[in-house]
Amino acid sequence: MNASGSTPVIVRAAAPESEALLGVVFRRYPSREWVTFARFGWRDTPGGLVLTLAALDSPTPGDVDESVGNVAIDEAYTLRVALVAESHNLAVGVIHSHPAGARPLPSLTDDDMDRYYSDYFGGFAPGRPYVSLIVASDRDELYGSGRIFWKGEWHKVTRFVVQPTPVRIDYRRSGETRARGGERVARLRDAFGDEAAERLASATVAVIGASGTGSPAIEILARAGVGRLIVVDPDVFVASNLERIHGSMSDDVESGLYKVDIARRHILSINPECDVTAIRGALPQREVVDALVAADAIIGATDSQHSRLALSDIALRYLVPAIDCGVALEGGSGRITGQVIQLVRFLPADPCALCRRMTVPWRVAQELMSEDERKQRRAAAAAARERGNPADHYWHDVPQLNTVGYLTTTAGAMAAGYVVGWVTGRFVPPFSRLQMNLAAPFFDVTDVDEKPRPDCPCRRVRGMADQAIAEALITAPTHWPRPQTLGESIART
Amino acid sequence: MSRERIDRELAVLKEGGQDAVLLSGPPEVVIYKAVPTHGAQLGLQPASDVVVPVPSGYPASMIDLAGLPVGSPLLPHVRGGQNSQGIIQADGRQWQLASYHPHNGGGGPPWDQVKHGFHTYFDHLLSWLARLT
Repeated sequence: MNASGSTPVIVRAAAPESEALLGVVFRRYPSREWVTFARFGWRDTPGGLVLTLAALDSPTPGDVDESVGNVAIDEAYTLRVALVAESHNLAVGVIHSHPAGARPLPSLTDDDMDRYYSDYFGGFAPGRPYVSLIVASDRDELYGSGRIFWKGEWHKVTRFVVQPTPVRIDYRRSGETRARGGERVARLRDAFGDEAAERLASATVAVIGASGTGSPAIEILARAGVGRLIVVDPDVFVASNLERIHGSMSDDVESGLYKVDIARRHILSINPECDVTAIRGALPQREVVDALVAADAIIGATDSQHSRLALSDIALRYLVPAIDCGVALEGGSGRITGQVIQLVRFLPADPCALCRRMTVPWRVAQELMSEDERKQRRAAAAAARERGNPADHYWHDVPQLNTVGYLTTTAGAMAAGYVVGWVTGRFVPPFSRLQMNLAAPFFDVTDVDEKPRPDCPCRRVRGMADQAIAEALITAPTHWPRPQTLGESIART
Repeated sequence: MSRERIDRELAVLKEGGQDAVLLSGPPEVVIYKAVPTHGAQLGLQPASDVVVPVPSGYPASMIDLAGLPVGSPLLPHVRGGQNSQGIIQADGRQWQLASYHPHNGGGGPPWDQVKHGFHTYFDHLLSWLARLT
């Protein structure tokens, strides 16, 4: 049975569901198979279909025949899953293992099963994708394959993005690796290994914000050999950015270039093979989200509250790991009292930005207003003050946070380093919310391990993608200009 | 605008017997139909339609303001009604927005997007139209 449909499919999964899944399907490893049904959220993007593992409908005793080595599912289990599917809006899938050392490719029996289930679940979950995945372990690596029945066609899974344990789609013989990146990444390969360099070359990393914090992160990721970079920023480059934007030149001041234009130029000057998608836009605009759901990781470098909400939402619903960066130079009148860097980890299992109280409602509202509304609000506040009345109903004056290039560069470089660790599987951010003050003894480092609010919907929408759109933490204001994408397919070889 | 979320919130109101519609605009607004007032005690109408703008980026931005049809005799009597925050056009009518800010220091709880929405804002509107001066 061929997956002849042309839609590329990415399957995403994250802890704790990904770990639970491996625990279930490998329960009879290494010689015997096992299986579970699962639920997936999805998003249909111009670049393909993205599926996100939302929940497992694991078998209970008697649901699968223990007496045989391969998978034999009891009809009652299938019916139970189908009936439950009528009460939710997620895609239904079946995930099973192949014995250790065997390729995760569908057998003739698997073909029969998928033909039957795609038709069967189509009756209970009409219009939703049917997902069939196979995983196998070989020499400490996980391999996967999959196909999706959707809109009357079978489509092949083209990529797995699984956190924390990567799942490869390209089965390789023992000892086979592909050295990529050449001498440019020789030192990184020495330190992290060939396989890490290969993972970076195959990875997609997005950076939201191409200014002081984003630009050094972008530079480090490009130098590390990340294969595809997505850069998002709505702003035009101005003279004051020269102090902090990596890759910017004095000639750029008069050119009217956008910050993403400069980022793209800088990336390609470092690594001409990098596939760069530069978007003049902002989160959570639809086109930006469409691009981000294909990323292995995201760095948030906008230092704005609405962007943090959006980043948290993407991490949670679409299972994309993210790190948010913030910096502040405290003091005044020539006296510096604090040089603060904050890095916040947004793994899909982490509490959302609301649970962590990272936003102030009036501040978010002011960030999202149109310029006309801001003018109107400021005028109303001024009039209230003239009357001797409180003005905070209308407008809060927010002092500009000062930052300088070395501080933003440090924060961006740290975030990029943690993303390299994530993508290569070599290390993870050892904090939930790191704050450090470069002006304090021993940097006064703190880690705030926040807990989710019991009533927050973030606990129940993990991995539900567009199927939990009503739970989105933020939507894009309609007055924002539509995003423009530059160099969408600068192909890398 | 999160149409799915607002639709869900308005469905909650509908279950309780209150009609409200979302208009995609521009401007995007919710119009609450025939909201009861305490106008009878002043010889004014016992119910009125009320318009509330959908804030940019909702639900990240708090719901704020409330408006009555231009020329409504209730306007001089509601809180903030004499401090116009602009005239908007919606549903074929003109509406005057009043300086009413329940979630922004105006007497209600601070905006909490997990708890609040257009369904809970209705309670503030009831209070707004009950406390006529």
